[in-house]
Amino acid sequence: MTTIERRPEFLIAPALAWLTVFMVIPCLLILALAFFRRGTYGGVEYTFTLENLALVFDPLYAGIFLKSATIAGTSAMIAAVIGYMAAYAIVSMPKRTQPALLFFAVLPFWSNYLVRTYAWIVLLNREGLITGIARWMGYEGELPRLLYTEGAVVIGLVYNYLPFVILACYAPLSRLNPEISEASRDLGATGWTTFRRVILPMTVTGIATGFVFVFVLSIGNFVTPALLGGGQFQMIGNLVYAQFLTANDWPFGAALSMILIAIMMGLLTIQTFATERASGARHGTD
Amino acid sequence: MSKPLLSLQNVEKQFGTFKAVDQVSIDINENEFFALLGASGSGKTTLLRMIAGFEDLTSGALLLDGDDISAVPAHRRPVNLMFQSYALFPHLTVARNIAYGLEMERLPRKEITARVDEILETIQLSHVAARKPDQLSGGQRQRVALARALVKRPRILLLDEPLGALDKKLRGEMQLELKRIQDEFKITFIVVTHDQEEALVMADRIAILKDGKLLQIGSPSEVYEHPNSRFSAEFIGVMNFLPVVRSGDGYQDRNGAAITATDRGVLGHGATLVAAVRPERMLLNPEPHLNQLTGRISALAYHGLDLQVHLETPSSPQPVMVRLTADAAEGLNLSIGDTLAVGWSAKDTRIFDA
Ligand SMILES: Nc1ncnc2c1ncn2[C@@H]1O[C@H](COP(=O)(O)OP(=O)(O)OP(=O)(O)O)[C@@H](O)[C@H]1O
Ligand SMILES: [Mg+2]
Repeated sequence: MTTIERRPEFLIAPALAWLTVFMVIPCLLILALAFFRRGTYGGVEYTFTLENLALVFDPLYAGIFLKSATIAGTSAMIAAVIGYMAAYAIVSMPKRTQPALLFFAVLPFWSNYLVRTYAWIVLLNREGLITGIARWMGYEGELPRLLYTEGAVVIGLVYNYLPFVILACYAPLSRLNPEISEASRDLGATGWTTFRRVILPMTVTGIATGFVFVFVLSIGNFVTPALLGGGQFQMIGNLVYAQFLTANDWPFGAALSMILIAIMMGLLTIQTFATERASGARHGTD
Repeated sequence: MSKPLLSLQNVEKQFGTFKAVDQVSIDINENEFFALLGASGSGKTTLLRMIAGFEDLTSGALLLDGDDISAVPAHRRPVNLMFQSYALFPHLTVARNIAYGLEMERLPRKEITARVDEILETIQLSHVAARKPDQLSGGQRQRVALARALVKRPRILLLDEPLGALDKKLRGEMQLELKRIQDEFKITFIVVTHDQEEALVMADRIAILKDGKLLQIGSPSEVYEHPNSRFSAEFIGVMNFLPVVRSGDGYQDRNGAAITATDRGVLGHGATLVAAVRPERMLLNPEPHLNQLTGRISALAYHGLDLQVHLETPSSPQPVMVRLTADAAEGLNLSIGDTLAVGWSAKDTRIFDA
């Protein structure tokens, strides 16, 4: 037997090496900057300080964190609901058409992120499609501003990350044995009760996974807020972007990133353990 | 006879152009232990699912206590189904699984707890009440599924291959256990099985299905002793079939020997016929008036109380099976290669279309 056959876990080595060299080490190098002073004319002065990290908790920046979390949370919630419904609908279609429907649901993912986001500008514009439709239907009054609002950012984020949620929810829904919901009906439950007491609890891990994914991807996003928010407000991603590319304050940018990464890791860890527990209980290991 | 509890009248189920259930009419009585017996794909599950309310009837009627229930949705039928896959709720404990149906009836919490505890006791699973289904053995899961349906005290309990996933020994025990529970709870059971022995052991009456059609219905002894077709005869128990041709008033086997049957035993009238006889109806040292054949012993098998002899004979293309009691076989010193003559009476002979 070769080493690989005996210890297949070694197969992870190339991926691990790649990630370590090109991802973990550069990240750590950047994050390390958070503990140093900013140079007077940009650049970094290598004296230790905790000021950058302390500044993150300044009400101004903490407020931006909170706003980002609110927008990411709203987007994640909306995406979770819409995505779950879509996955539920796909699962209730005949088995042979499901792969095609999933394919179409994920299709936008394969086009360019910027192009997709610009498309929303066209739709939400003051002279855009939605206004056009309202006018065509005879509405003459003033329309609320659509583009460059928080709402537009939420719409963009939901739209972009919806396929994740659909895929995350499709997995547990499609594994559901249809006889389980029949058993519930047989025991006297209506369709709604069956959904609430059997189907939802058995598939909630998909919703949780989808929610956390959308939240984590949204809270650090800077393209959508920049394009659809039009610089009207900042999300944490824009702030980080600005520190590195315009303000030239790398240490503070690193400090912001560090807190952001900590939040993401925390959420992903909770989600992983929660899923593990849920499926562990299902496989009788607790 | 009293009014039937459940009456299936010309029930039909069509999937596309395929008839899964074809013109089935059955009356089932209160407190009856009724078995639906048939090969895989004969429509047993489909029939149960129609009674439970998961499949619409393509045509026909379904009467419970004389009322047509074919339009009543599944969750309002006083009928419960134990699924072939058990379909336990994996996220709920054993106790919550069993309580589920009672919670749907909005019974008081105290009564629910009492009834769940009681049934857990009955199926001897009180010690696993707090476990999830995946932490149970196959036999335990089976009993939980049974309890979950039974605790609702339905008018009719439908069981789809309830013992199908159990090993042989456990099956034997559970067959008797099911009988006992049915007797104790006084609920009508309709059990689907493809195991004829199981049907014979458990049921008050058996219906034999083939390709969606009802072939025969009767008590175990009726269907065993008086099968009405070659299929029923073959499906229930072991049966020997000798190709025969009509000859005068009687019949003649391939070897030219005369075969007689009573009028009651003649169930086939076509061009190609077989004479059927059960292995245990064969006698040694046949008297001349009996139907008989002679063959060479090709195999011998002891089964405790009796001895199974396989005879190769010109009268039949397949070996003929003869079952002798240990007493009858004693002192004969039968061995493979010996020639043996056996006979059977006309009243134990059935004539079927081949
Ligand atoms: N939803 C369906 N659509 C199309 N055909 C079906 C459907 N359900 C069952 N059938 C067909 O109807 C026939 C009877 O099926 P059924 O499940 O009732 O058989 P069964 O007697 O329970 O068999 P088994 O012993 O294997 O469980 C089969 O040929 C099956 O393929
Ligand atoms: Mg079946």
